[in-house]
Amino acid sequence: MNMLKVPLQIFRYKPGQTPGYDTFTVEIPATAHVIDAIDAVWTSHDHSLAFRRACHHSSCGSCAIRINGLEKLPCVTRVTDVWDGRSQVRLDPLRNFPIVSDLVVDMADFFRRMSAADMAMICEAEAFLPFTVDTFAVADLEPKLVELPENFSRFTRFEKCIECGICMSACPTMAADEKFLGPAGLAAIHQARKKTLDPVKVEHLLGLADGEHGVWRCHSAFECTEACPQAVDPAGKIMALRRELIARRFLKMLGK
Amino acid sequence: MSTLNYRKLSRSGRWLDVRRRRLGMWAYVLNRITGLGLVVYLYLHLGVLSLLLRGPAAWDSFVAVARSPYVLALDVILLAGILIHGLNGLRIALTGFGIGVGAQKALFVVIMVISAVALWVAALKIFRV
Amino acid sequence: MPDLLELNDGLFVAITEADLVFKDRFLQGCAACHVPAREISVEHALAVEPFLNPKILAAIQVPDGVFEPFRFCLAFLATAQENGATIRTYSEVTDLLCAGKNVTGVRIRDQHTGKQEALKVDLVVNAAGPWAGEIAAKAGVGVPEIPTAGVMVALDCRLNNLVLNRLNKPSDGDIIVPQRATSVIGTTSWAVENPDLITIPPEHVDRMITQGQQLIPAVKKVPMRAKMAVARPLIARSGIAARELSRTFECFDHERDGTNGFVTITGGKTTTARAMAEKVSDMVCRKLDISAECRTRDTPLCSYRLFFQQRGSRNQSFVGAPGDRSSGRECFR
Repeated sequence: MNMLKVPLQIFRYKPGQTPGYDTFTVEIPATAHVIDAIDAVWTSHDHSLAFRRACHHSSCGSCAIRINGLEKLPCVTRVTDVWDGRSQVRLDPLRNFPIVSDLVVDMADFFRRMSAADMAMICEAEAFLPFTVDTFAVADLEPKLVELPENFSRFTRFEKCIECGICMSACPTMAADEKFLGPAGLAAIHQARKKTLDPVKVEHLLGLADGEHGVWRCHSAFECTEACPQAVDPAGKIMALRRELIARRFLKMLGK
Repeated sequence: MSTLNYRKLSRSGRWLDVRRRRLGMWAYVLNRITGLGLVVYLYLHLGVLSLLLRGPAAWDSFVAVARSPYVLALDVILLAGILIHGLNGLRIALTGFGIGVGAQKALFVVIMVISAVALWVAALKIFRV
Repeated sequence: MPDLLELNDGLFVAITEADLVFKDRFLQGCAACHVPAREISVEHALAVEPFLNPKILAAIQVPDGVFEPFRFCLAFLATAQENGATIRTYSEVTDLLCAGKNVTGVRIRDQHTGKQEALKVDLVVNAAGPWAGEIAAKAGVGVPEIPTAGVMVALDCRLNNLVLNRLNKPSDGDIIVPQRATSVIGTTSWAVENPDLITIPPEHVDRMITQGQQLIPAVKKVPMRAKMAVARPLIARSGIAARELSRTFECFDHERDGTNGFVTITGGKTTTARAMAEKVSDMVCRKLDISAECRTRDTPLCSYRLFFQQRGSRNQSFVGAPGDRSSGRECFR
């Protein structure tokens, strides 16, 4: 197994102390992902390093951090993709979140937004396979329609969004407006609205989107869509919400 | 659990941190800067126009200054601001209505190219005065 | 918890003649456990799962599902929190406090602050999973728990909707689990010394890819998104190899070892989580002289999002949608 000695520069902060960076060099397999390197720091160097991770396959969204300044999921980012072989790999927590400790940020307000949108994590699966967030993965495979077994009216899958917070970190409006629902919150509102038939709930969701900290605070930086590791396209969903809100206003003006 | 919000920039200035950001963010930043610039210019412009109230002598002496190459250069910068802000504004208006969201980066590149070309042509004309 | 489960059924498919021979035994086993299994035609199986190996000899459809791993666990934690539990994250148990041979509490290091704390309690329940043996050792007792690691490989795209299994006894790489936008091939099994540091043997990864192709040949064409390994807590039985150990769970009251105030619950699979909770809760109540019935089988879980919401330091309120599941009151019974 080919091993690498990778230097990491990790942001450190404990309450009451000045924030700073610590450097560690870890020995990991060449095929390892960045999260494995962080794990190695914790196991072999410094047990006090606080970081979040769980599923190790971009499903839970816990591990989101900034690697060399750019928001990524370290569990699916190979070390060789972010390391040039010489310089240190810098790890920082996400922007626009309060920092709890080291790489851990406070997700409470983020989840309050997601609760307000109340998007169910399950949705209808596509009528074909393969399904992916990365179009390159299926370059070699022809999409095929699936037939449903007789006891099924539809297949289900989990929503693409894994609530990692990367879009919130990349968004300049999140930096400026504390109460902005954010690309994650607004994308969730869009998804929740798509899935509901209850008119009361629809009104409520669109009201949130139309509100003071809703879709109109977006100033089209599109960084959220760029940074999203799951191809959720929050910017597209924000614009879709705007279209719906404007259409409704027009219809109301015309007396419908 | 105590939390810390450390930022070197104040909340209103954080959008200036463009490190590792992509084209969409650059469009955002340019739009803000040109917007602020144009607002400043608007006040200057109104102030300058008020010279008209002071009669031909005041206006003529201003025009003499206005023809100097330094001011002409500023005019070119102003034009750059107008082009970028105006054309990007069109892009934002389109994408804000959900039109061309997928092509937003390409649109920005096209806008910058048009601005550059128009600016070059205009600069040539301005300096041949 | 319908929101946290993809319930698309599962298929057990026979690739070889040996698999085919296993079919009857499998169907009988399902019937004995009241699992509704029905054989479907190979054509139907291939229509439902177009990327399934076209050379399969038989297919059996069973009820099955896939859960959202992290959120599923968080839903339990959120419900505990809503019912008064305090959950200390980033806190490592460095020692057990003892008075004589009895356990009286735990010493933790809270990595938020870096400070050590001593927590005195009535009873310590050791539910530390693969670390159960390590924790028990701090009290001077033994637990027959072997951290047993397994490798899983997640692909860059989802190639199936049903959980695909090899119709035979458990073996390496005999299952492909769809989830969200990926398909996960699993798994292997080997005992590890240190659950904190598991090196993934590259031959295990290769085996996943090779075995996976038996179920879905297209596995060969899809890049690997991630590979992960974690240790499961298996209960050791003398003379049985790691691969064959069943996933039963057991509850140990260490009073029988002379150490009171300490109970271990270990083994098991996620699907038996509530049964394990019931067993250990009943034991805890007996030890603490509380007569109450365990209500877990009837308690709906709260939204996993509440786990984070209650812990934050700031208190912004966003008005929830009417009837949203995040209301804490819904999970109070």
